[in-house]
Amino acid sequence: MKSNRNKTAWFFLTGPLVLYLGWVIGPSLYTVYLSLTKYDGLSSPEFIGLKNFYRLFQDPVFITSLVNNIKWLLSFLVIPVVLGLVLALLLNNQIKGNKLFKAAIYSPMILSPIVIGLLWGWIYEPAGGLLNSTLSVIGLNYLTRGWLSDPEVVLYAIIAAAVWRHVGYVMILFLAGLKTIPLVVIEAARVDGASGWKKFWHIILPMLRPATVIVFVVTIIQSFRAFDMVNSMTEGGPFNSSNVLANLMYIEAFKNYRMGYGGSIAVILFLLMFAFIVFYLKQIMKNEVD
Amino acid sequence: MKKSFLSLTLLILLVIGGSAFAETKDVLVVNSYMSDPVPKEALAELVKAFEEANPEIDVQVSTTAHEDFKKALRIWLSSDNPPDVITWFAGNRAKYFIDKGLILEITDVWQEENLDEKFPRAFRSISFVDDEAYFMPNNWYWWSVFYRKSIFEQYGLEEPATWEEFLQVCQTLQDNGVIPITIGTKFRWTAAAWFDYLNLRINGQEFHLRLMEGKVSYNDPRVKQVFTYWRQLLDRGYFLENAAAYSWQEGVRFLANGEAAMYLMGQFILDAVPAEVAADLDFFRFPVIDPTVPLAEDTPTDGYMIPRKAKNPELAKKFLKFLASKEGQLIFIEKTGRIGVNNQIPLDRYTPLTQKGVKMIEATDALAQFYDRDTLPSVADKGMNAFMEFWAYPDRIDLILDNLERESQLIFTE
Repeated sequence: MKSNRNKTAWFFLTGPLVLYLGWVIGPSLYTVYLSLTKYDGLSSPEFIGLKNFYRLFQDPVFITSLVNNIKWLLSFLVIPVVLGLVLALLLNNQIKGNKLFKAAIYSPMILSPIVIGLLWGWIYEPAGGLLNSTLSVIGLNYLTRGWLSDPEVVLYAIIAAAVWRHVGYVMILFLAGLKTIPLVVIEAARVDGASGWKKFWHIILPMLRPATVIVFVVTIIQSFRAFDMVNSMTEGGPFNSSNVLANLMYIEAFKNYRMGYGGSIAVILFLLMFAFIVFYLKQIMKNEVD
Repeated sequence: MKKSFLSLTLLILLVIGGSAFAETKDVLVVNSYMSDPVPKEALAELVKAFEEANPEIDVQVSTTAHEDFKKALRIWLSSDNPPDVITWFAGNRAKYFIDKGLILEITDVWQEENLDEKFPRAFRSISFVDDEAYFMPNNWYWWSVFYRKSIFEQYGLEEPATWEEFLQVCQTLQDNGVIPITIGTKFRWTAAAWFDYLNLRINGQEFHLRLMEGKVSYNDPRVKQVFTYWRQLLDRGYFLENAAAYSWQEGVRFLANGEAAMYLMGQFILDAVPAEVAADLDFFRFPVIDPTVPLAEDTPTDGYMIPRKAKNPELAKKFLKFLASKEGQLIFIEKTGRIGVNNQIPLDRYTPLTQKGVKMIEATDALAQFYDRDTLPSVADKGMNAFMEFWAYPDRIDLILDNLERESQLIFTE
């Protein structure tokens, strides 16, 4: 009986498994192989061992992009997560019009990142853009600048646009988490005389753990995946000031036709994400066991 | 399950068989990057005329947008079933594939059609590698400094011929609250034009091309010289502020609304402005810096090549001959306003401004394609980033050029 069920399971799994191996696992492994070669997409790949990786760590552009990714990650772990949580807590109460607020805050998530890139590109436009004109109207002229052309601020300008998109998503995840906390527990805490802050810190936050795990994993992945907005707003410029690994990989592989080199960036990107997520999940599991 | 598999096989067989039977005409496959409506229509008209003259040939054009075309071309050329004809760019971009042995040699086409006579001499050098022809140039455009006639008139300015005069013009414009030079460097190549021209004027075309091929270093004092001239414009604030925030078309806006007076740009700027602005545009040759250096200009040239593994090389050559002929050239230029390579086309077929462009190039000693066409794509990428970094931090130029030289040597020796 059991072996029969196994057979049936395998029968149904074969199709998707073959597809998954051929379309996802296969190409991923091929990328790992390409990262060990010199390949221009034209002649056949030439095996060169770890040379690409050796080159990468001497390439100032790679270092800049890596640092930018880390800046992105740190900003993303703080700003949208805190904002999203605060908004979720606020909107979890039965305030008037909270459905409207939820929808409004979530709506940027519905837009494609490319559209958001264009939109914010206009907001940041130096000569007539919304941001600079608003600043001059309220007398803050000295703050106006070319938000996407000033190498010192360009990365943060893009991150700000990305945060705008990400906050709504975090809020929805936390809201879903809040709905799973039984009212009885909160009532009990109130009866026991827990203040607002204590209630939050000792009751709500620990019970939000499952949602927090998802929020953190999603946020980590999002910050390493950062590509579409960078590409549509600046293509990583000016002179790589806003470049991130995914965009650098795209440029090297598909604009400069250094597929092997691009492949090695993809491998590093994968390892980074993998390391962060494994580390984070491990921490969570350890706490769960405790 | 079995039944559907059977019928699917049958269907596939039918499709394959059906197309084989239907094939009575010779099929010529042309892959084109002309996805903009005007050039696309022009190519369609060319094909129509060619098919009328050769009823036994069925030309199938497949159009792919520019950037995607560049990627796909590598796949086509390395496959065993490439198209018969491809559109492509002259210069290093063509030489790259020619050197890899992926392009069919077409010296016979040049000889049979006597193209050495029909095309200006400059086009021979961009079409030949080691005395064999591989590239069929078709049309080109010129680069120059475009300016608003009305603004120049208002401040009593004349077209500057020398660097000093050019600085003078910029100063007068600036004193009157006009942005002397507009530019949008978001996608970087507009800045590369400034590098090209300053290098061509200071060090000449031969030096420039050797630099493009990696035979001169970027930290050579002669290259540094280019940046000291460039800096004169930056330090005095002659360029549009926050230029890196704008695409090239957004840069045009300042010229169109009269806030800025000049733009170093290709002929295609005329298509990017409203008609009344276009009528107010004129251009002058990029000012001479060192009168002992022979005049050189950027004239990016587009054309056609035949992949070496093409199935129908003879048909493809026939099509190329037609494209190079006076008849074929006329169809294309009437439709697009570009300049044909064939010198049998009467000058009056062009607009007055284009005639001026043609005459300017005729009085030019040497030609270049354009920065990102003359050097390797990956070097162009690093180089253009270096220009942008210089733009933001001119003081760092020594370090920037040292880094660029190290990167470009690594790439050239790869």
